[in-house]
Amino acid sequence: MDIRKFFGVLPADKKHDHESVKKNEKIKNRETTSNGKQKAKEIKVKSSSNEDDSKQKQANKKKRIIYDSDSEEETQSVKKSKNPPDRKASSSKPDKVLKQDPVVYVSETDEEDDSVNKNSSRKPKENGTSSSGRQGTPGIQKSDLKTQSKSKPVSPVKLTPTSVLDYFGTGSVQRSEKKLVASKRKELERQLHEDEEFARTLAMLDETPKKKKARKDPEEKQIVLPAKTSPNTTEKHKPSSKGKTENSTDDTHSFTAKDQTKSESKRTSCSNPESSVSKDRKDPASKTLPVKPSSKLVAMKQQEENNKKEKTTLDPAAREKTASKEEKATPKKEKVSPQKFESISPEDSEKKRVNYQAYRSFLNREGPRALGSKEIPQGAENCFEGLTFVITGVMESIERDEAKSLIERYGGKVTGNVSKKTNYLIMGRDSGQSKCEKASSLGTKILDEDGLFNLIRTTAGKKSKYELAAEAEAKKAKSKLDKTPQKTEPEKRKISPAKRETDPKKSNSTPDKGEAYKSVTKETTEARKGLHFKQEAVEKKPAAKDEACLVPATSKGSGDGGLLWVDKYRPTSLRTIIGQQGDQSCANKLLRWLRNWHRNTSLEDKQAKPGKFGSKDDGASFKAALLSGPPGVGKTTTASLVCEEVGYSYVELNASDTRSKKSLKEVVAESLNNTSIKDFCTGTSHSVSIKHVLIMDEVDGMAGNEDRGGMQELIGLIKHTKIPIICMCNDRNHPKIRSLVHYCLDLRFHRPRVEQIKGAMLSIAFKEKLKIPPPAMNEIILAANQDIRQVLHNLTMWCVKNKSLTYDEAKADAIKAKKDTKLCPFDVARKVFAAGEETAHMSFIDKSDLFFHDYSLAPLFVQENYVHVKPAAAGGNMKKHLMLLSRAADSICDGDLVDRQIRSKQNWSLLPTQAIYSSVLPGELMRGYLAQFPNFPSWLGKFSSTMKHDRIIQELTMHMSLRTLASKRAVNLEYLPYLRDALVRPLTCLGTDGVQDTVALMDSYCLMREDVESIMEISSWGGKPSAFSKLDPKVKSAFTRAYNKEAHLTPYSLHVVKISKRQAGFRVDSELNEELNADEVQSDENEQDAIETDAMIKQKKAKPSKPSKAVKNEESRKGKGKGKGKKKD
Amino acid sequence: MSLWADKHRPSALSKVDFHREQATQLRNLVQCGDFPHLLVYGPSGSGKKTRIMCLLRELYGAGVEKLRIEHQSITAPSKKKIEISTIASNYHLEVNPSDAGNNDRVVIQELLKTVAQSQQLETSTQRDFKVVLLTEVDKLTKDAQHALRRTMEKYMATCRLILCCNSTSKVIAPIRSRCLAVRVPAPSIEDVCHVLSSVCKKEGLIFPQDLARRIAEKSGRNLRKALLMCEACRVQQYPFASDQDIPETDWEVYLRETANAVVSQQTPQRLLEVRGRLYELLTHCIPPEIIIKGLLSELLNNCDGQLKGEVAQMAAYYEHRLQLGNKAIYHLEAFVAKFMALYKKFMEDGLEAMMF
Repeated sequence: MDIRKFFGVLPADKKHDHESVKKNEKIKNRETTSNGKQKAKEIKVKSSSNEDDSKQKQANKKKRIIYDSDSEEETQSVKKSKNPPDRKASSSKPDKVLKQDPVVYVSETDEEDDSVNKNSSRKPKENGTSSSGRQGTPGIQKSDLKTQSKSKPVSPVKLTPTSVLDYFGTGSVQRSEKKLVASKRKELERQLHEDEEFARTLAMLDETPKKKKARKDPEEKQIVLPAKTSPNTTEKHKPSSKGKTENSTDDTHSFTAKDQTKSESKRTSCSNPESSVSKDRKDPASKTLPVKPSSKLVAMKQQEENNKKEKTTLDPAAREKTASKEEKATPKKEKVSPQKFESISPEDSEKKRVNYQAYRSFLNREGPRALGSKEIPQGAENCFEGLTFVITGVMESIERDEAKSLIERYGGKVTGNVSKKTNYLIMGRDSGQSKCEKASSLGTKILDEDGLFNLIRTTAGKKSKYELAAEAEAKKAKSKLDKTPQKTEPEKRKISPAKRETDPKKSNSTPDKGEAYKSVTKETTEARKGLHFKQEAVEKKPAAKDEACLVPATSKGSGDGGLLWVDKYRPTSLRTIIGQQGDQSCANKLLRWLRNWHRNTSLEDKQAKPGKFGSKDDGASFKAALLSGPPGVGKTTTASLVCEEVGYSYVELNASDTRSKKSLKEVVAESLNNTSIKDFCTGTSHSVSIKHVLIMDEVDGMAGNEDRGGMQELIGLIKHTKIPIICMCNDRNHPKIRSLVHYCLDLRFHRPRVEQIKGAMLSIAFKEKLKIPPPAMNEIILAANQDIRQVLHNLTMWCVKNKSLTYDEAKADAIKAKKDTKLCPFDVARKVFAAGEETAHMSFIDKSDLFFHDYSLAPLFVQENYVHVKPAAAGGNMKKHLMLLSRAADSICDGDLVDRQIRSKQNWSLLPTQAIYSSVLPGELMRGYLAQFPNFPSWLGKFSSTMKHDRIIQELTMHMSLRTLASKRAVNLEYLPYLRDALVRPLTCLGTDGVQDTVALMDSYCLMREDVESIMEISSWGGKPSAFSKLDPKVKSAFTRAYNKEAHLTPYSLHVVKISKRQAGFRVDSELNEELNADEVQSDENEQDAIETDAMIKQKKAKPSKPSKAVKNEESRKGKGKGKGKKKD
Repeated sequence: MSLWADKHRPSALSKVDFHREQATQLRNLVQCGDFPHLLVYGPSGSGKKTRIMCLLRELYGAGVEKLRIEHQSITAPSKKKIEISTIASNYHLEVNPSDAGNNDRVVIQELLKTVAQSQQLETSTQRDFKVVLLTEVDKLTKDAQHALRRTMEKYMATCRLILCCNSTSKVIAPIRSRCLAVRVPAPSIEDVCHVLSSVCKKEGLIFPQDLARRIAEKSGRNLRKALLMCEACRVQQYPFASDQDIPETDWEVYLRETANAVVSQQTPQRLLEVRGRLYELLTHCIPPEIIIKGLLSELLNNCDGQLKGEVAQMAAYYEHRLQLGNKAIYHLEAFVAKFMALYKKFMEDGLEAMMF
């Protein structure tokens, strides 16, 4: 239900600026004239994205652009689809699209984006990371490839490195942590990335079995190389050799696509060149057939693009060869860009305005009018497979989100912006102009809502690509079984664990992999045995566990059913850790740090300690590393794998071990100086083995009585350690960790992006023979808040029942399994008032749950921020706006009344009621657009200053009480303003001469010097300086001097609190206090006497000489500084 | 040298300036030698405390004026230490239990009991009871008031209570029934004028009657305030002019500006500004009920007849809820928001009516 209906929605003013249309056309025209006709087409796409780019910059709207390559996945889908009608459709349309440029830049510059961006201050960051991540990818690949090629240059597995990277997502390593909060944004991202990872995964899966054979096949390499070099040659003699490549690629394609049941050897030879390559090549091949003779330029472009693509995806060998070509190609591309910018710059200001107006109108856009009026049709399974949709505007009968999920359910893909790949543009009311325009220019089919429904009804269903892949796999297995019935059994087993080990070193040794692993474990166990531990039992347990986890190969024989998926698919090499591929990733940093550890420390011993800041990057000055990050992102795995990679054995202490100061000292400190037995055996023993690492897992769990002093001991250990120490924690800002942070290399793990996880998860799902559609996987990952471990556990659970999950099922399950994440109060405040899709689907309970994120702060946040919200229901009408404000304020008041009941009567069962009044109702009433980041409630600060002033007034009242006889309130409201004037006036009028008057007045009211300051503080209004502070400093100092010169008798004791605390054991009487002040220690009897005398001391009018002496004694003893001391009491 | 309000405070019941018949009644009461618990109530600045002190003096003689301030430290059952200051003579003890905030019950229980239980030493020269003066009784929590109930009866022999408060509405009925209620009404305008003139005479000043009347009206029949104002006027300008400015306190000025801000513009931005101003008032410990009252009186000046009733009713409603609630600012803001909405509507409707 749309809540807006309840609050009388005014029709939003929709301004469609036709200017922008004209503008765009103008630009295009100009470009068309300046460039070649064909070229222009390509530019147009790029320029439009670029245009948007610059537009955004000018509009200062902090938009995020994602450049993404769609083509691979698209082409693959074309290849895979066996349905003839569909194929026709897809090939006819993308035909044109593909012709120009296989790389399509999808820019997210639509209105939805605005809605996302409107309240996000973290967008710019996102922007930077996403784009840089993309751009940085080739670099990362390159480096990875280089290292691989270095280690094993001619290994046949060389073919796969690219897919390894694709497999786990090559995108940026850094990303924002607040994923769930920005789930909206994620969704967009998801739209873009969606299937391609999966496609790659599938490609991988197709290949991996072949890889096995390939190893036996020496020929295969030779086949690959010509295939790779052919594009190079084609580029040199472009027109002539074009046909040749086409032929060769066509061949490859035909083999891979058509028939999977062909004889084994032939198939491998054909499909061994990377499938991505073949696919790429296939496109031009099939597409260039209808090419007009005039479009040579296009062909050239195409070739170039293909080459480029290959270069980035091909193995190092081909890469080096084509390096020169690459350089040739790039200048061309660069040439284009300047033109684009020139053409745009003049219309900046108008663009900005138009954009702004469009944005405003978007904000006022209302929801669907006839929600649920039409029946949503049931379509054939997977009928939208391979089709790309873009939705714009507001549908009449269904929400946009629903439409999206509808399309996704049928296998279609919904992207944010119209590109050449887009098959259909679904257009609703108030549609975005740029989209329609683009769609018409690209010739995209434009559908309305009914058109979409019809399409669902009419389109025939087809088998999904992953089903096909699965079938293919099955067939392969079958054929293999026929051929070598006795061989397949162990081999197939091997495939699953081996699949992820595409690391050259590992996979090279696949035949004797099991042994290799065993030897590794042997080493570790041996090394471990070398360590003398008192608690052997404690140590054994993790060791055993580690073996099981790290070496899935050993458990092969017993069958892998017993292992949790988390352990079964635990990464076995550094490269396979999800989200840690980057050169600057935490894993690599840790690796470098560990490698250089001994050198660094030895250096450090010799020379002076290097500056902390200078060597911060590699952490050379640190003796320990601190890995911090949310659970389930692979901290422990990374640490153990890094240790293995470097060849260190490690000792792990986690929260299950006692880690108090004592036990740490005994256990760890000893072991740090231990020597491995292994070294003795081999005869290469050092005095102290340097080959081990201490891993302190879960250091933030070091708490309580058990682990008392553990942190200090750990820091002490770090200072003097001879081996590297790796600490791990979840929250590095935790107060307990804070002291540790200074001694550690700080490595922060972030949650991997959805796409990074998705690839790996889908491959696991495939290995486990689960059928989960990629969008469903997205939901699952999002629900687990990108916690890899959680995702795996969830998958395990859901798939016990049946081996396939539909989109709907997965979505439902994912919602159920949604991790309860704690929102910070600022996000709560934002969400309470947020309008639109973010909250449209929130149930009443969801909304009241927002309150419970922090029920003491939430009402304050709501109260602080509800005035800042521009309610959608008001529609800009001030009268209505004020009415809503008033109602919201009333509701907040009700909440306050309930709060009083809760707090005074401990009636906590009323909390839900308070949630309704304090959060849900104001949220509903004011639902709209929060113009700024939520403020922190000022009530807290104001309350504390009120309390402070109250205390001051109480003290003043007490001091003056003998004269005024007035209550606190009367003193504050009536006395203080006049008293202040009476105090200040002599000083301002008479200067230093007036000092005596003021002091006399103070004495008559028993005020102290500090009281004067307090009076001035309390009676200053609106932050204006008080009259007293405006005085001449000379007068002020004269006043202070005059006051301090003589002793002032006060009827109240000055050191009450301190003394009464000191004398806690005594019967505390003020009389006694007075006596103690005068340093007269008295017995109880004396005290009794003292009552009388002391009473006289304090008596104002008659001053007996004896008691005053006592007071004077005290005064002289305290001296001048006394005044200051009093205040503290 | 002290302010006039304190300088010219009468110290005997025979010398009080107004409500003379009440003063004589009190004197008669005391001269009987004994009196019940008293509940003295009346608005601020009407002379309650002055009367009580005069009464005590009548009772015990001049010794009662030898006051001392003591700091008591009381340990609550929960081992929490409570510091409270009391004003005492040899014969009586004055305490404001509400200073202890939520722990006022402990103060009543512990402090009062210890005082009440101890007998007076020299009963021959003195009365055989002490007096405990509790101020701001209306600020006591209900718990504390209930704690008071039994104590009042139990230690009647040794102790008399004089309760002092502004309004009895917040004093629970059992306590009211145990006390002799003495209402000290605010002095009439004439009384105030008379006092002002007599004080000026004592000071040797010539004081125009018009000015006296104006001050009396402005002070809201609060004699203390009137005297303070008068003295401020004297400092400001002497000889007095009957039409001279009477200096106001800062918070009154600030409150009026706030009300004007509400009337002059009704927008969410203005509401935010007003919130800031209300916070400023509250942090200066101006009681919220006074704020709402001040706002109302200013707002009413700008309202039409029909709207007036509505606004006044609204103010009463929010003032009531303010007492029930925890956070005064919510209710003040709600009041302002409501007024803004109402006023805007009223103005726009009025404009429309004008158009047609």
